[in-house]
Amino acid sequence: MSRPAQISFTRLEEIAGGAHVVTDAAQIAAREVCGARPAAIVRPADAAQIAEILRFAAENKLAVIPTGGGTKLGIGAPPARYDIALDLSRMNRVLAYDPQDLTLGVEPGVRIEDLLRTLTEKKQFLPLAVPFSDRATIGGIVAANSSSPLRHAYGAVRDFCLGMEFVTGAGAQAKSGGRVVKNVTGYDLHKLLIGSLGTLAVITRINFRTFPMPAAQGMFTASFSSAEAAFDFCRVVAHSVLTPQMVEIADPGVARLLFSGPPSVRMEPQTWCVLLAAAGQPAVVERHARELGRLASAATAEEFVSLNDTEALSVFTRIREFPKLILEAEPAAAIFRISAVPGAMAPLLGTLRALAAQNGLDFAALARASGILYAAFLPGEGSAKPSAPLAVAIPEVFRACGVPEVRASAMLEWCPAEIKTSPDVVWGAPRPDFALMGRVKHSFDPQNILAPGRFAEGI
Amino acid sequence: MQPQLIRELVTLLGPQAVLSLPEDLMLYEYDGSVDLGSPQCVVFPASARDVSEIVRLANRYETPIVGRGAGTGLSGGAIARSGGIVIVFSRMNRILEIDEANLRAVVQPGVVNLDLSRAVEHLGLYFAPDPSSQKACTIGGNVAENSGGPHTLAYGVTANHVTGLELVLPDGEIVRIGGKCIETSGYDLAGLFVGSEGTLALVTEITVRLMRKPEAVKTLLAVYDTLNDTTEAVVEITVRAITPAACEMLDGFTLRAVEDYVHAGFPKDCAAVLLIEVEGLTEAVEAQAAEITEVCREHRAREVRVARNDQERNLLWRGRKEAFGAMGRISPMYYVQDGVIPRTRLPETIRRIEEIARKYDLQIGNIFHAGDGNLHPLILFDERDRAQFDRVVAAGGEIMRHCVEVGGALTGEHGIGMEKNELMPLIFTPDDLALMERVRAAFNPDGRLNPGKVLPMGKGCGEIRVPRAPASAAIPT
Repeated sequence: MSRPAQISFTRLEEIAGGAHVVTDAAQIAAREVCGARPAAIVRPADAAQIAEILRFAAENKLAVIPTGGGTKLGIGAPPARYDIALDLSRMNRVLAYDPQDLTLGVEPGVRIEDLLRTLTEKKQFLPLAVPFSDRATIGGIVAANSSSPLRHAYGAVRDFCLGMEFVTGAGAQAKSGGRVVKNVTGYDLHKLLIGSLGTLAVITRINFRTFPMPAAQGMFTASFSSAEAAFDFCRVVAHSVLTPQMVEIADPGVARLLFSGPPSVRMEPQTWCVLLAAAGQPAVVERHARELGRLASAATAEEFVSLNDTEALSVFTRIREFPKLILEAEPAAAIFRISAVPGAMAPLLGTLRALAAQNGLDFAALARASGILYAAFLPGEGSAKPSAPLAVAIPEVFRACGVPEVRASAMLEWCPAEIKTSPDVVWGAPRPDFALMGRVKHSFDPQNILAPGRFAEGI
Repeated sequence: MQPQLIRELVTLLGPQAVLSLPEDLMLYEYDGSVDLGSPQCVVFPASARDVSEIVRLANRYETPIVGRGAGTGLSGGAIARSGGIVIVFSRMNRILEIDEANLRAVVQPGVVNLDLSRAVEHLGLYFAPDPSSQKACTIGGNVAENSGGPHTLAYGVTANHVTGLELVLPDGEIVRIGGKCIETSGYDLAGLFVGSEGTLALVTEITVRLMRKPEAVKTLLAVYDTLNDTTEAVVEITVRAITPAACEMLDGFTLRAVEDYVHAGFPKDCAAVLLIEVEGLTEAVEAQAAEITEVCREHRAREVRVARNDQERNLLWRGRKEAFGAMGRISPMYYVQDGVIPRTRLPETIRRIEEIARKYDLQIGNIFHAGDGNLHPLILFDERDRAQFDRVVAAGGEIMRHCVEVGGALTGEHGIGMEKNELMPLIFTPDDLALMERVRAAFNPDGRLNPGKVLPMGKGCGEIRVPRAPASAAIPT
């Protein structure tokens, strides 16, 4: 790892205060990104300090990676350089919450659990049921565009984020969007930061619209003998007048994982499961229970069950934490996040399962009917060199996603660092639009100091 | 313009697809509201390849290019402010694919908004963004402006419904971003390009989401004797976190003009009405309608009426969507604004607008998307009266400043264009604007694509440009 001979810690200490520049080995290790470690961790108090730190970094060509709870530092390609971890945990305030207006402005370091607790007090929420919820911060969730099962009804961050403030790689404090729910004033630059993995700017404030808690909720599961039957049922639901909040499709192995919670959970599914949630007035939830049951049996479901509250909470938590559960069970897993149209999901899953089998890998899949698919490739227990078959399978996954009848967009969200021998392993082969992303990167970060190399095509 | 460029355009596109006579160009000098600007040439490409070739030619001749759909825009986005070539997309008006299974449609930019909804109606589907100009405006224009409409309260604006674009960049390169999938790995380029007001690229193909029509719809009309009760009711609906599909307010002055024109059955003696629509499952609609009725009554609604059938419902909406046309009957000119405020600040804002109207001795109508705080104050004037015209400019500026002061925005759906670009410093710092400038330059380095739009040009700082086109030309949302 090439690094300037000495970083002027003095300057960093002047900016953030001596107590907030950390070089302790254990803490440095916790900020490791794909095997690379920073020389220092700096904990800025506000946007002004971040701007000074980034100007200093730009002058000295020091690479900076913003971090929050540190739960998703493994996502992305290995950084080309990494000198300073910018720890945003001190910036953990809710800056403005107007429950009457259903709008919210927060600093990036607020933990999602704390934020949701604050909103719950006012019977509101953000539809961000995302993995690593015990530690993840809102800034990290936005920067990684973490996937939530609630997207089905509420959209993704791009749909309910109203604006942001941030500091560019040139050390300029800037903003876009605003705090009102409807706004087309200027370019929507903040949308570029969603999912940018800290490569464009350091987010210092995020404004959201919030959502009212529904009066009642219900969760249901329908089991099917094949993937095709499960996806057919989802198609029927999508084309009905029903308005479920969540529709998830779990393969038999994942279904077992989701139901492996406390002993009070009655089910031990052996087949494909579709998990649905409904919310709203009690009459609306009752209607979903009735009609989803009817549609399920018409779609040859083996079973349709309304979960009780304990079961629903347990299963929902496991759906939310899916990537984390897989990584806990198999740290060497390769988990793809694939966006596909509903019609392509069943055939794509068949191809991916076959691909796994050919390479002696186990396979686990959780699909969101909203269009996101988690596909996990798991090296079998006791395999001497677990990464070898993964390295073979990964390019094949991108190829399978790219065929004309599928046209899915894939990204390898999680895999062992040693497999990431080039950005293509994570992002797939270069695409024409990557060049446009390069232009965006250069506009925000002309000196290439923000998480260099972590993004597609080495951006 | 060099005659040689026109000759080359004719060779490229054929004589039928190139206009350059002054009498033909006049039709393309204006859009839905603001000033005039004369192009030297108007072209009608039939394909992305045509567009790319036109752009390459324009570059060789160092000529500005402006994209144009139906010309219904309300901030001057399609006006050739610096002259040059206007590229009209009316020949690229085909719906290329309707993918019912995946709820997507692939369209060319010249497809009229409502035509897409009509084309998928038999499947029980529709395209959600519904600007009031939807009978005329094109989806390409909706993408450029990130258009809204009454029902965006529940379903979001155009950006929430676009998953893929084919673009012609200002250097002539044709490139695709996104596709039918709900997201594409990498930066959210569609999020940047939608709403960039034609200043970053020309759009030649659009993939949009289609929505399933709801099971039930209920349209309510709440009638009030004071403006304050009306706005307080809107706040209470927001505070109780009821999300209707649409929540529109029309004040009494506007209402009387509308009623004389549309005969929708609006009461002519009231201070204001709320036009509220709830959609969804029958059970949800019933519950929401009951709650909204209760809120309206608690805030002293004189009457809450429910449309009994589609005919009544359509008539009420016709009253709303054609309201601006109705204003043309009672005033030679009007100027419509598009400011946004936090929704809870509605009562004080409407009072402020009343004060401003009194202060400048102007008639200001209010008809707007109350549910999401998107105002459309309508200032009436006669442009032959210079003194009055100056007061209109001053009043408009004061309303806009009030929106900014209470934490709002300059435009909710009409765009910045050339109308409000000099007001951008009210919201954005020099650093904010410098970054936007850099992003624009990254795609449009010579500024040849739609010059003089969105970002301030540094002239006459803080000035609003007030429309001078005939009032009847405007079909705002």
